[in-house]
Amino acid sequence: MSATTLDRVVGTARRSPTFAVGFGIILVFALLAAFADILAPMPPTLSHPYETLKPPGSGPFLLGTDGNGMDVLSRVIHGARYAFGIALPAGAIMAVVGIPLGLIAGWRGGWVDEVLLRVLDVLRAFPTIILALAIVAATGQGFLNVILVVGFLDSPIFARIVRAEVLALRNATFVRAAVAAGNPEWRVLLVHILPNAILGATAQLPLRMAWAVRISATLAFIGIGVQAPAPEWGAMIRQGAEYVISGEWWVALFPGLALIAMVLGLNLAGDGLSDLLDPKRRATGK
Amino acid sequence: MMLDVQNLVHRFPGGVNAVNDVSFSIAAGETLGLVGESGSGKSTIGLLVTRLLAPTGGTILFEGEDITRLPPAALRKLRARLQIVFQDPWGSLNPRMTIGRLLEEPLALHTTLDSAARIAEARRLADRVRLPAASLSRYPHELSGGQLQRVSIARAIANRPKLVVLDEPTSSLDLSVRAGILQLLDELQRETGIAMLFISHDLETVRLVSHRVIVLYLGRIVEQAPAATLFDNPAHPYTQVLLSAHLPPDPAMRLRRHEVTGEIPSPINLPPGCFFAGRCPVALPACTAAPPPAIALEAGHSAACLRIADGTNIIDPVEERA
Amino acid sequence: MRLLEVEDLHVEFAARGLDNRVRVARALNGVSFTVDAGEVVGLVGETGAGKSLTALAAMGLLRAPARIPQGSIRFEGQDILAMSDRELEKIRGRRMAMVVQSPLTSLDPLKRIGDQLVRMQRVHGTARGAEARARAEAMLAAVRIPDPARRMQAWPHELSGGMAQRVLIAMALVNEPALVIADEPTTGLDVTVQAQVLDTLRDLVRARNLGALVITHDLGVVAHYCQRVAVMFAGRIVEDGPVAEVFARPAHPYTQALIASTPGRIAQLGYTVTGGTPPDLYDLPSGCLYRDRCPRATTACLAPPPRIALDATHGAACHYAWEAA
Repeated sequence: MSATTLDRVVGTARRSPTFAVGFGIILVFALLAAFADILAPMPPTLSHPYETLKPPGSGPFLLGTDGNGMDVLSRVIHGARYAFGIALPAGAIMAVVGIPLGLIAGWRGGWVDEVLLRVLDVLRAFPTIILALAIVAATGQGFLNVILVVGFLDSPIFARIVRAEVLALRNATFVRAAVAAGNPEWRVLLVHILPNAILGATAQLPLRMAWAVRISATLAFIGIGVQAPAPEWGAMIRQGAEYVISGEWWVALFPGLALIAMVLGLNLAGDGLSDLLDPKRRATGK
Repeated sequence: MMLDVQNLVHRFPGGVNAVNDVSFSIAAGETLGLVGESGSGKSTIGLLVTRLLAPTGGTILFEGEDITRLPPAALRKLRARLQIVFQDPWGSLNPRMTIGRLLEEPLALHTTLDSAARIAEARRLADRVRLPAASLSRYPHELSGGQLQRVSIARAIANRPKLVVLDEPTSSLDLSVRAGILQLLDELQRETGIAMLFISHDLETVRLVSHRVIVLYLGRIVEQAPAATLFDNPAHPYTQVLLSAHLPPDPAMRLRRHEVTGEIPSPINLPPGCFFAGRCPVALPACTAAPPPAIALEAGHSAACLRIADGTNIIDPVEERA
Repeated sequence: MRLLEVEDLHVEFAARGLDNRVRVARALNGVSFTVDAGEVVGLVGETGAGKSLTALAAMGLLRAPARIPQGSIRFEGQDILAMSDRELEKIRGRRMAMVVQSPLTSLDPLKRIGDQLVRMQRVHGTARGAEARARAEAMLAAVRIPDPARRMQAWPHELSGGMAQRVLIAMALVNEPALVIADEPTTGLDVTVQAQVLDTLRDLVRARNLGALVITHDLGVVAHYCQRVAVMFAGRIVEDGPVAEVFARPAHPYTQALIASTPGRIAQLGYTVTGGTPPDLYDLPSGCLYRDRCPRATTACLAPPPRIALDATHGAACHYAWEAA
């Protein structure tokens, strides 16, 4: 890492410690996900039939074992793959669907705007978790299905964020000045409005990803979507919940902590990002 | 004529009558001042003339061409020759583009210059409006208000337009910065013979920069005259009231104040006669019946007041304190 | 009678920069002026000169991160800087009042005009009940609001800008304060309305022997409504004196430049001014702060200029104050 890059990293961290902490947490999970095969002491679904429900610290099982005799630590590490497996594609769907939708709805209004607003009304009236549950249950339980449902369910919300930004920008003097300069409509939209609208939206993306991770874990907890024994945190918590009463707390606790940390990391990164992306703060640090 | 506006009318959704039958023209190399208080429709006229708004009625001829109902593609081409500078220098420039890119944009849109030629031309423009060369790589928020307004002016003149509408270009700037901008505009007009429509509520500035001045009240022209004539011999009672309310920055000048009472009519529900009749100290019964016609006083000087016919249009000032 | 006496006031802000170093912006650098009963003093200057900051300091309204490392503010003989918030609250709105720039956002949108005026009196214990209502109505009449009895029932959103500004003046004066501080009281109002608002303020100052500090960037307001003026530049008062005197014989080059940039003077003299950027408050040079823009600067200006008295009432902080422009 060259000196200037290091300076920039340090500078970023100082300007927004919130982002730095959040990004740091995400980075740790990303490394866990990437090198899970190396870092995990044993395969996540390897069962030790005679070593079920061992407490943390017993033998090679640092965080203990679950009811199937699988190593909790290894499963928590591999769970990061599922978390990113949902967060990244769902975030991509939100961006790909939500940004154009929000741009058009905010700039043109008309029927696109009407439809978007009505869909949002429906989503607001309905608890999302129940909606997601219903759709996944109806369309089949694969992981891919969960990704698609979560991504598309949240796209209108992301579109609304973009739409609000566009609405605020539509009457900005610089947009009017861009029209007056002779910019064609597509250029006004893509060159002048989009880069300014995307600012607020980008900062929202990690927050929406956090939501996606949470909701997919919740689905798994209810028993929809990813199924045991796949090392998914929500599914692990569900499995572990049965043992909490009988005193085997570690089975549910560690995936729970991982889930909390991941969601917290994404939320912190999102909050910090909105500070960092403000162009007034970028160059002068005012 | 560079610009010829006939019977311009604009009504905003909600029934606000912003511009009510306004006709005027601007010659090449001329600066026409448009003054009025808030709600006079002066900024709306600026937007209509540059076709950033579509007028409800009337015609706009620019260099002899009717641009009132121009389709978007033709309108975009027109914008090389017809430009506008807005009041708010901090808001008029895309915050995510560098000054250099902002200056290149009008060239990219209207010329066939390649990238290197555009950069060279942007440098020349920056130099012309006296922006330091270093500012080309900066973002708008790194510049002062006066510098930003210079960028907006440079963008406006990039394609050598024939007419520039200046909508309160100096109103949000400090006094000493303002003078520099006015000087720049003056130089540009002398060099290129550009015509200007200078919109402002600041009477002193309008007097300084304009050849002719139009006074607006509730979207209607009450008086127009060469600048010196208008400020020295205002004929319409409203113009007299407006000028007398101005505070010259000189304590030695005595104020001659006219008192007006009464409410300003709502632009949604305008009276049938003279809009000023309700506040006018010399209103006649006939003033409320029909809009008064513009009456010529001398060459280029006319005012829409019935009192001019018998010379009783001059109102007595309430004597001002020492 | 002396109402307000500000002496050698310094105000600074600490801000954290990009590199995480704390840097100090020196916003006020030795501001001294007085306001007596029965006079209107104008505080004039451009953006960032420190006019509003001076007003806030005088009202005892400065809060962290602002710091006052040096200087004193005395109001009716009392030390404002030594007062507790409790003591200040008793004075503010009672003995000294402020009229701010944006009238519509300064009124409570959920309370009728009359109720706001009554509350103002009840809070300070000056009057209550029917008496307070009667005084409120009389105050509305005094600021020339037509049909005050009916306007007592009006909501803030029903008022025009000029009307709202006059209601704010009524609010400021209803407890009969000794000092009024008006921060850009007519900025944003139309000229015809501006004249009415300023007339109202001036007449009340005269009738009730108040002192007023009017903060403005408009030399026309100073020229016709103030008796004395203090010109600010980069957190310092560079010139002060009677209005007629300062306009006729400006001694500081900045005052001269300011007057020469008015369109009327440009028409007479041509463009003579070159605007420049004011000094960086984070990195103030020593000596005269106007040095970089000044046409007559010499090496003498590397030393801070003292206020040089031109006569008993007129002074300028310039080494060459005696030399005419």
